[in-house]
Amino acid sequence: MAIAASFRLLVLAITLTVSTLELHAQSLTVRVVGDMLHLRASGLGLIEARVADHLRDGRAVRVDFAVVVLEKAGGRSIAQATQSFNLSFDIWEQRYAVTKLGATPRSVSHLTARDAESWCVDNVTVPLSAMGRIGRDMPFWVRLEYRVPDPMPVANADDDSTFTLGRLINVLSRRRQDHEAARAIEGGPFRLN
Amino acid sequence: MRPLVLLLLLLGSLSLPRPAAAQDAEPPEGTIIESADVSGLPLDELSPGLRRDIESLVGERLNRERLNQLASRIQDEHPEVIAAVRSIARPDDKARVVFVVALISDNGDLASNINARYVVEGVELSGIPEEQIGRSLRDRLQALVGRRLDNEEADDLTEDLREELPGHTVSRRIERGSAPGQIRVVFDVQEAPWIPFLPTRSKFIYHTDLGWSGALDIPMGSTSGRVTVGVAMDNKDDLLETYSGFRLRVESLKIGTPRLGAAMEFSKLQSSWQDSTAALVAASPDIPELYRSRLTVEPTLTFAVTPHVRISGGVSFSELESLARPSDSQMASAWIAAIGYDQRWRIDGDSTQKAEARYEVRVGSDALDTDLSYKRHLGRAQYHYQRGPNRVTAGFTAGYISGQAPLFERFSLGDSSTLRGWNKYDLAPAGGERMFHQSIEYSFHYFAVFFDTGSVWTPTTDQRIRTSTGFGFHGDNAFVTLAFPLDSGDAGARFMMGVRF
Repeated sequence: MAIAASFRLLVLAITLTVSTLELHAQSLTVRVVGDMLHLRASGLGLIEARVADHLRDGRAVRVDFAVVVLEKAGGRSIAQATQSFNLSFDIWEQRYAVTKLGATPRSVSHLTARDAESWCVDNVTVPLSAMGRIGRDMPFWVRLEYRVPDPMPVANADDDSTFTLGRLINVLSRRRQDHEAARAIEGGPFRLN
Repeated sequence: MRPLVLLLLLLGSLSLPRPAAAQDAEPPEGTIIESADVSGLPLDELSPGLRRDIESLVGERLNRERLNQLASRIQDEHPEVIAAVRSIARPDDKARVVFVVALISDNGDLASNINARYVVEGVELSGIPEEQIGRSLRDRLQALVGRRLDNEEADDLTEDLREELPGHTVSRRIERGSAPGQIRVVFDVQEAPWIPFLPTRSKFIYHTDLGWSGALDIPMGSTSGRVTVGVAMDNKDDLLETYSGFRLRVESLKIGTPRLGAAMEFSKLQSSWQDSTAALVAASPDIPELYRSRLTVEPTLTFAVTPHVRISGGVSFSELESLARPSDSQMASAWIAAIGYDQRWRIDGDSTQKAEARYEVRVGSDALDTDLSYKRHLGRAQYHYQRGPNRVTAGFTAGYISGQAPLFERFSLGDSSTLRGWNKYDLAPAGGERMFHQSIEYSFHYFAVFFDTGSVWTPTTDQRIRTSTGFGFHGDNAFVTLAFPLDSGDAGARFMMGVRF
């Protein structure tokens, strides 16, 4: 019985650890610039692990962002916007470059990883007109989704069999390897005034 | 048109050092600067300090390091551009300096990868001798040298290398070259492992009827060999017995050749039994007796016929300490032979499929001085198909035992991975000697539905096919499942949750 109880505690501890890491790491805020809703996200963690390794090897990574305005947490979508970006890492300057893809591309370089993530998020905007009365008269929630659709090589990813607590947490929280890397964070309630 | 001209000028300036044929008259260091201009960006868009520093170059002696610093400051102030310095010798032995500025987004190559601004100094093939690839591909690799990095071309070459080197993994990276503005392109080639490590068996699982089960494997080692230390804690999810104890597994994927691997497993496990199992074993003289502990040593060799087909052989020595007579023990040793196949394909950018199959036979023969003579055949096949968030998994397992197999070899169904929704102790408390099981599961993102069918029986009992269905959250490692037995007369659902990793 004591062993059974310790299993429960261990599973609970692992679950709590993973959840706590997620909860503490990320936050989302909104602001209005002109007639557009802009987002700010901290602790996105996009440029890390495989994505960062890929970039630091001098390869480019495409990232798709989507912003969904919700009427309540996990609720119906009111408005949404999508935007794709191309990231690369200047191996001589040791800084990231980002290009906003589309009909009128824009690029910036000389960014830190955090600034590159922020620049991407700031450039996924939702027109206020698409939100109707939401925001002015009632609170709303926002979900920011991002994914890396390009299949990046994972050669020898499983070869590193050294055990660490971080690796254990990674394994427990990792999504399907065959899948694109995709994540979402949600924040709210927000008001525009 | 203007950006294109600027860019061409700029890219010409970036070739440092440039090929001799392309060199213009470069003024030597120390030449008096006659004029300093910024092209591609109005001067008033620079900060007053930077503007002043550029203007103050006139009349100074040419210092390339200082000019490069000023170009970097332009980029710092305007991260949407790249800036380079062009210095031109004038007939009057003076120099003209131009800071050429261009928007990154005006050039598709730069917009897709900022490193396209750099010139390839060299191309390196890492992991195999160059002679292993054909002459024409080698020439195409070397043709990258002296030009700006063309990512598309480099990607094409990576694909061509993969095609020319089956059984290898190929990846591309770039490194800084010997001088600023120059890079080296490295194609890393590695032989794909012919023999993979055995999967770890870590899990913490809760099952409505079986309660909590746990096992933790901790692998430590390198790419070609590792040691796995494992503990089992009240594990009732795999076998008929509940077992706890420890395991140690040593694996080497390369014994002289990557086609030959070896493993040695040692385990010491304490066993306990359900009352229903004990009662049935007591009433069945054909079933070997219960044991309180088992000590196993299992050395195996694996030979890879191809990277996808492997054959294994070995022997398993097990000593079973009698539950009824603590001083007595039985030997349950067996030869092991197996053949396995696995392969994964990427159908297109979004779809993959994977097939696995394995057949294993264990033969407990007198030659091993075993107390239990038996033959155990087990065949298993599994197919995965994935397209985006949609995944289908189908599996089939069948087993056959003749002779007197120890209880840990007898088949059971009705746990967290087979006949989910049933309790194995309701189906066959002492397991069976014949078994088949099939399962099909569809999942969308993490929501899964499944249908299991199977039967476990002995030559003296009737074969009855059982079915179950259910749904749940099935991640890669974690799962929460609600399963329902069908045609059981018992409407009760079984809840299961846990992690496997």
